[in-house]
Amino acid sequence: MAEKNNFAMICIAILGLVTVAFGLADILVSAVGDGTGLSILEIPGDMFRGGWGGFIVLFAGLFYLSGCKNVAEVHNASKVAMGSVLIWIMAGTDIFAMITESIPGGEDGPWFNSLSGFLGTYAPPYAPAIFLLPFSLVVVYYILKQERTK
Amino acid sequence: MKILLMGHPNVGKSVFFNRLTGANVIESNYSGTTVDYTCGCMSLDGKEVEVVDVPGTFSLDPKDKAEEVAVAMLEEAKDTKDAYVICVVDSSKLERGLYLAMQIIEEGYSVIIALNMDDVAEDKNIEIDNQKLEQILGVPVVSTIAIENIGISNVISRLKDAKPVDVEDIAVRGAGAA
Amino acid sequence: MKLSPDERWNLIDSIADQVVTYGKYRHTLKDAIGELTVKPMTGIPIAIAVLYGFWSVFGSFAGTLCTDGFFVKLFDGYWLPWLQVVFPGEGSWLYSILIDAGGMTNGEFILSDNCFEAFGVLTSGLFVAIGVVLPAIVIFYLMLTLLEDIGYMPRLAVLIDTVLHRIGLHGYAIVPTILSLGCNVPAVTATRILETRKQRFIMMTLLAIFIPCGAQLGIMEEVIPDLIGYVLLYLVIGYFIFGFILNKIVPGRSPEILIDVPPYQKPMMANVRRKLWMRVSSFFKVAVPFVLLGCVVVNVLYLAGFIQWLGDILAPVFVGWFGVPKETAGPLVAAFLRKDLAVAQLSVIEMTQYQMLSAVVLVSIYFPCVATFAMMLKEGWKELIGSVAVLAVVVFLYGGIIHLIGKLIGVA
Repeated sequence: MAEKNNFAMICIAILGLVTVAFGLADILVSAVGDGTGLSILEIPGDMFRGGWGGFIVLFAGLFYLSGCKNVAEVHNASKVAMGSVLIWIMAGTDIFAMITESIPGGEDGPWFNSLSGFLGTYAPPYAPAIFLLPFSLVVVYYILKQERTK
Repeated sequence: MKILLMGHPNVGKSVFFNRLTGANVIESNYSGTTVDYTCGCMSLDGKEVEVVDVPGTFSLDPKDKAEEVAVAMLEEAKDTKDAYVICVVDSSKLERGLYLAMQIIEEGYSVIIALNMDDVAEDKNIEIDNQKLEQILGVPVVSTIAIENIGISNVISRLKDAKPVDVEDIAVRGAGAA
Repeated sequence: MKLSPDERWNLIDSIADQVVTYGKYRHTLKDAIGELTVKPMTGIPIAIAVLYGFWSVFGSFAGTLCTDGFFVKLFDGYWLPWLQVVFPGEGSWLYSILIDAGGMTNGEFILSDNCFEAFGVLTSGLFVAIGVVLPAIVIFYLMLTLLEDIGYMPRLAVLIDTVLHRIGLHGYAIVPTILSLGCNVPAVTATRILETRKQRFIMMTLLAIFIPCGAQLGIMEEVIPDLIGYVLLYLVIGYFIFGFILNKIVPGRSPEILIDVPPYQKPMMANVRRKLWMRVSSFFKVAVPFVLLGCVVVNVLYLAGFIQWLGDILAPVFVGWFGVPKETAGPLVAAFLRKDLAVAQLSVIEMTQYQMLSAVVLVSIYFPCVATFAMMLKEGWKELIGSVAVLAVVVFLYGGIIHLIGKLIGVA
């Protein structure tokens, strides 16, 4: 059991560190003012998504880090769960923005988007939160399972 | 016939009310939306019954406007023949809820106690012995989860068992087994 | 027989002992998460994230999808040209009021090519009401209702309690404040959850002056998306500054209330649907008539030359003190009827970004719309007069301060 906990701790700690790094990158990039990209990763540069969003991602990471030690304990588990919720808010709103962008056909186009245009909206690059999303889901699954078996 | 819904703020009284009447009342988590009292109708055995959603109150010693309204409405119901009070109690805070229920019983009303939000009580590992409570108080006690519509019809079917109880008898029964 | 409180508690304790069995108390994950959202250290970042999500979804749905995606196309591409073709009497006063009033420049009648500039009842009026405000209001109330039913709102109230104490309110004042971001009218009603007249007065005044309603937010999002952050910043600062001052000068008490925070729970869809429907429909019963009526009145005033006249009279104040062009007098008069319409009108006046910012902030703090006015009158005429007095002072002072700040940072 202790070994399993250690493994979980290391995983969450790594996730936390990566998340903190992403958050800091967001804030720094938006402070400089230009959005940048690394192949499929896009760091937004505007005040809203980059500045505020970066702040939120940073805090998600801090939540992970502060909760990763002894996740079996409920207060730590709740911190980790909350870190994931923050990631979901970020990723969720990004995905929602993509969806709303993909449906209409543009200013001079037809009512609805063409199929290729529709799919094109979902092509990379993505914001950091979207990359973190799958991992945060796994973490929450783990915590819920742990909560239920207790 | 008239039914008053009473209980603390935020015990799910408004949800309860909606379950009974399906009327247009707003149910919210914050206290205050029910300060304007709402009333609706329910049919029971083919008869129209007035159901009143009384503003949430912690006791019958009013501390603010909403509680004053609640007490005034309870007083009013004294004149109505066949008035019943459904006292909605939060199972996870049984003592506080019973305090209010006891006050209403002392005033001589026919009371039914609905132990609401059972799922939360369960989360906190609280178990309440309904039958024992019913035996001591002498009034019907029903477990409900209003938000999931569990137990509501039970409350209505037990209405006929509600009758005024002398608080001295409760005191005797309550102290007896302790 | 009646018991004394002590006897009653004793009896209840003895009953509870017999019927309640406590298992080993176990802190559930739900409890722990609930605590996190209330403690300031963790709660504030969470609150910021929730507001971020709120705003982002609001912008995506109302702005990108509904208004820009479909309604602009529908109204500018089909509705306006169609009306311009079928409606006779171009240039007549009726035409100006109903369809297109803004085209009579340089002695030549030029048809507007979009619904923002036409200002007719059937063009701008309908466009603003349906194309811009409807989606904004629906998504706003949907999210607010969800947050309420999940149980987040009471926690936000607890979290923000200390801050709001400074301005004579308590945490629950967050409810009218946020409701007000949808529409000031239900928010005025919601001030009843505050105990004393002093608190209600402060709350009503602050929300009438400093909180932009959903209609305005929708229009701002549409017309001046780059400036909206700054507008809100000025309004939030004003909310606290003047709240602080009001708390000092208004007589009366500001007692604390005890709040019971319910557990987090899954929202019930039927409940959400009903609440959303009630809020949206009651909003529209109030809003649509006023938008349309506002169009008529403003157009009539324009045609009668009243607005130009007022603009000339107020020009020294507007230009000298507020630092905005005198054409803004028109929208300010219109703002009394519907603030959202006024922002739309401002958007077509030539001015610098900072002037636009000042003008939009002024419109926002300037008089509450007629509907709010009526609601406040219902709550008490003394309060209303007080609010109006505060408002006059605030508009004058704050308008000047914003101008001054602009001068200091060299953009005005």
